[in-house]
Amino acid sequence: MPAKRHAASTTSASTASTPATLSSGPATLKTNASAAEIAQHVWQQYLATTSQRTMLLDAFMAFLVLVGGLQFLYCVLAGNYPFNAFLSGFCAAVGQFVLTASLRMQTSDKSGPVVSKPSSKGKNARFVDDDDEEQVSGYSHERAFADYIFGSLILHFFCINFIN
Amino acid sequence: MRWCLAFLLCCFLAAVNALSSSGSRLLVVLDDSTEKSSFSTLWSDLEGRGYDVSFESPKSDKLSLFEHGERAYDHLLILPPKSKGLGPNLTPKHILDFLNKDGNILLALSGKSATSSAISSLLLEADIHLSNDRSAVVIDHFNYDTVSAAEKHDVLLLQRPASLRPDVKAFFDGEGVLALPRVAPQTLGSDSPLIAPVLRAPNTAYAYNPKEEVPAAEDIEATGSQLNIVSAMQARNSARFTVLGSVEALEDKWFSASVKAPGGKKTTTVNREFAKQLTAWTFKETGVLKVGEIKHHLATDGEVALHDLNPKIYRIKNETFFSIEMSEYSYDKWVPFELPAEDELQLEFTMLSPFHRLNLEPTSRTETSTVYSTKFVTPDQHGIFSFRVNYKRPFLTNVEEKHEVTVRHFAHDEYPRSWAISGGWVWIAGLWSVIGGFLAFVVVWLYSAPVADKTKKTQ
Repeated sequence: MPAKRHAASTTSASTASTPATLSSGPATLKTNASAAEIAQHVWQQYLATTSQRTMLLDAFMAFLVLVGGLQFLYCVLAGNYPFNAFLSGFCAAVGQFVLTASLRMQTSDKSGPVVSKPSSKGKNARFVDDDDEEQVSGYSHERAFADYIFGSLILHFFCINFIN
Repeated sequence: MRWCLAFLLCCFLAAVNALSSSGSRLLVVLDDSTEKSSFSTLWSDLEGRGYDVSFESPKSDKLSLFEHGERAYDHLLILPPKSKGLGPNLTPKHILDFLNKDGNILLALSGKSATSSAISSLLLEADIHLSNDRSAVVIDHFNYDTVSAAEKHDVLLLQRPASLRPDVKAFFDGEGVLALPRVAPQTLGSDSPLIAPVLRAPNTAYAYNPKEEVPAAEDIEATGSQLNIVSAMQARNSARFTVLGSVEALEDKWFSASVKAPGGKKTTTVNREFAKQLTAWTFKETGVLKVGEIKHHLATDGEVALHDLNPKIYRIKNETFFSIEMSEYSYDKWVPFELPAEDELQLEFTMLSPFHRLNLEPTSRTETSTVYSTKFVTPDQHGIFSFRVNYKRPFLTNVEEKHEVTVRHFAHDEYPRSWAISGGWVWIAGLWSVIGGFLAFVVVWLYSAPVADKTKKTQ
């Protein structure tokens, strides 16, 4: 019990000590690590604990951020004529990002190794019922993915129409 | 049909030597027949130009300007009556009604006798003022006739007037000397755009009442060119009202009198020619404008098909062509209308206020008309617009043309496609890279189904 309390207090106190509570991953960080070490550690932790699909989602989202940022930069530099083209291109990137983020929220939490989140008692209680995994998020991954495709197609339809 | 009518009109014009553009019935109001005989050249000139001259005494009971509520005459020439006023059938109200019904009036005054208060109040309606005692005459000690008025200096010798301003047509100009005996001077009000001076007194002239023993120098209201010998008003319906200060100038005696200015040679007067110009202008033989065909359409290189002519609707930013055909009546025929040197005929494209005000350029000429045209791009504003030509000038009849058209905005398929605008290529590329990325993502996602998950599930 004291150990658990100690862990809970460290999670809230500093990010550096958060990975220390993780069950898997590289060696735990020392308390007086430098910023570069922390970043390195976070990255290693991310690579080690994230599932392939979530990493794919993250890569796609990074791509969307890049595309949206470039379009916005171009608008700032070159002016907004034709404005509908800017709105269409930029909103396509933003909307796709939002949809992808939603998909990530719906699929990532259990796609990786089970992470014990010590603070939430209710969630822990639910994790006991390990068989019925999909009921936790409410939807199956297939259903989430189908919703995602449906939403994306509507978005693309509108954007292509609007860009004329 | 049009050509037929034009041909008939030509035949008609050829048959009649000259004819006013607005009818030939002329009523002359004069006191008695003895007076009538002293203007015989004027009457024969008018009849020779195609007028139907009838004479009435102002005292006559039969005299009426209207018949069944319509004008009984087209033109009215009023000579100054000997008695007071013009009688009950020619009150200022009757005369103004006559003007309002497009009748033209030439009113002659005389400095010999005091002008009646009825005429004075009629002139006030037109913002033309007579001198206070109404019996003043214009005297000029430098431009008088030495033959007939060596003592009194009240017979003025003047050149015919040139155009009023450089941008106004001259209808009364020409060579020669006018003799104007005993002129009743008029002054013009300053705020009426309808009145214009035809002939002004010279700078050395002044008004003086010969009946007064001592000329009251401090009472002089107006001198020099403030005094008008002939002034004209053209009402908004283009009816004309001319005031001639000296009725004697129209007499046979002065039509070909030989006169001599101080220090000058003996010459004969050109009063007859001036009387012709003055009556011709007043009775609408000159200075009458007619608008012929008005065309507007989209600007094209070739011929315009008939169904594309004068469309009811335009789009914003359309290049539009407008042309107007103008003729001017000159004594007995329509001739091409020529603008005065410093004047412009303008087209307004207006919705409440003009969005364009453009000079129309003469582009072609027919036998009877000039075609003025211009090209412009309709403004970036949709609504109900009108093509307006509003040409109102002194001595010319008013031209006010208004043709309404609708200007619509772009239809949804009339905008340029986005790939036609190179500035939008970056965003098009952005959109398609998002879509392409999405497709690639979907494919990769489907091929990277977590196997571990399923095995876990089955366990």
